[in-house]
Amino acid sequence: MGSSVAVIQSKSRKEKMMDFIVYIVLITVSAIVLIPLFWMISTALKSNADIYAWPPEWIPKPAHWENFRNAWNAMPFSTFLLNSLFIVVLGVTAEVISETVVAYGFARYSFPGKNLIFIILLSTMMLPSHVTLIPTYIIWNRLGLLGEFDPLVLRAWTAWGPFYIFLMRQFFMGVPKELDDAADIDGAPLVQKFVKIMLPQIRPIIVAIAIFAFRGYFNEFQGPLIYLSDKSKYTMTLGMYFFMGGVNEPPKWNYLMVIALVITLPSLILYFSAQKYFIEGITFSGLKS
Amino acid sequence: MERYMGTFVRWLLTPVGLFILGLGLYYLMRLFRWEKQQATGLALISPWLFGFLGFTAIPIFYSLYLSFTDFSLFGKEKWVGLGNFIKLFTNDVEFWPSVRITLSYAIFTLPVGVFGSLLVALLINREIKGIRIFRTILYLTAILPDTAVAIIWRQLFNGETGLINFFLSLFGVNKIDWFGNPKYVLPAFVIISIWGIFGTNTIIFLASLKDVPRVLYEAAEIDGASGFRRFVHITIPQISSVILVQVVMSLIGSLQMFTVAQFLRPTTQAGLFMNQLVYTRGFTQLHMGEASAIAWVLFVIILVLTLLVFRTSPAWVHYETEVKDVKNAR
Repeated sequence: MGSSVAVIQSKSRKEKMMDFIVYIVLITVSAIVLIPLFWMISTALKSNADIYAWPPEWIPKPAHWENFRNAWNAMPFSTFLLNSLFIVVLGVTAEVISETVVAYGFARYSFPGKNLIFIILLSTMMLPSHVTLIPTYIIWNRLGLLGEFDPLVLRAWTAWGPFYIFLMRQFFMGVPKELDDAADIDGAPLVQKFVKIMLPQIRPIIVAIAIFAFRGYFNEFQGPLIYLSDKSKYTMTLGMYFFMGGVNEPPKWNYLMVIALVITLPSLILYFSAQKYFIEGITFSGLKS
Repeated sequence: MERYMGTFVRWLLTPVGLFILGLGLYYLMRLFRWEKQQATGLALISPWLFGFLGFTAIPIFYSLYLSFTDFSLFGKEKWVGLGNFIKLFTNDVEFWPSVRITLSYAIFTLPVGVFGSLLVALLINREIKGIRIFRTILYLTAILPDTAVAIIWRQLFNGETGLINFFLSLFGVNKIDWFGNPKYVLPAFVIISIWGIFGTNTIIFLASLKDVPRVLYEAAEIDGASGFRRFVHITIPQISSVILVQVVMSLIGSLQMFTVAQFLRPTTQAGLFMNQLVYTRGFTQLHMGEASAIAWVLFVIILVLTLLVFRTSPAWVHYETEVKDVKNAR
């Protein structure tokens, strides 16, 4: 403590002024970030009448905790949550496995055309998804799988996250090649070499990708909107979308906020328990792409 | 549980199929006298390759073909030549408003979203007390699901009792019908989008600022360069490649606006975003040919704007190699 106090005291007047301005900006920006989140929680606990109070009420009195049960039962949200989790588990598992294999191939093997293929892979990141949306829909229709979960999860086996492949390839390339060579001399087969030597080295990036993929599948909206038609197969996001009601009827804001809160929770929990991975991942996406 | 069984079984069989295809590719390449190493490499990346061919490469050309046809998902495609495009450009009340709102949204979001967050990153790139807490808060916007964000903002912008109108009323502004009056739809969307991307962009800029070698600043300080000059001559060139990436990503992202707009449901007079138009034409009205044509117009817009940014980039982006040369020269 002593030394840091000394540092602060040694700051010039101009520096102190600067720090003060920084604090004002930071507090303002933080308020802008937090107020909407606070408003979500506050609205979730309001009675139907409180929602329309003017001036708006910041803290609902009394808090209507029963909103949680009522909102959850207003539509079969337990089913929706189960469906979402099903999609998340299948999608994340398939994606992590397939992307690890593909990235390993790119990092450790050379073959004619590899660099060109990798450039094509990277450029697919910039391709707007709507260009392939309709043909993809037609393919699933031909396969007779519209209305099923399949279009949302099966493609995960084809390593469809180019950015994750890129991330993982970078990690593989950071693993010393001597490790591979040692295994080659021992005559270990490919699979054994991969599992015993490589996997332990890249565990951090696998965790990071799994977290990002989890968020991706859980929050996915457009896919479920297009492919799912039977209510018993809705996901949480799709359930919330239809829970808003028709175009001209005002939604039940308090109940809707309860559902929004539930949808936000997994991301929040992941964020606070694995903040390091999140920030590294996001940073990486901007610096290296 | 029954509803999961079919998908689960097919989910288990898919990797088996991909494995067999990969194995086939391996032996095929061996026939072409590739070395074991080479054939193994290709086989390992083959899951992506097959996915790319089946779900990206072929569909792109198929959708281009579809854009010249009349197709309703049932029955056969009917070739109509440029018919879809001519109808869109000359005789479609929804098309131009859609192009207009999509483009203006991207153009307004870009400067504030990129340079505003750069400014904040510059400010918080200081080791002051409690900075970690502020960073944690700031990053929050980056991780929230956009569906929930859209719901929250729809309530905040509520014309009757929304918080935004309340704040404005403190300054004597009358209640604004944000989503009912087409004039106010775009500003509302821009505010929401900036709130949503600020966190992400700020994190990225902050990391890039930390990567700027300290030596450069120290040298400049000895030369007596002012803070502003140091910013213009050192900081900006050093992080310019990151700025370029953020500009391109932000452009591509905002032109593809869909989810948030779907949830906010502003008055239709403001115009639908192009991706929404693709969705309504294709999936609710089953005009798959027309929808493909709209998707392709958007694709071309994205392509042209991205190329334009890259084209101008040599003028303002300094690549790492040049910096290294300068350092070596010293």
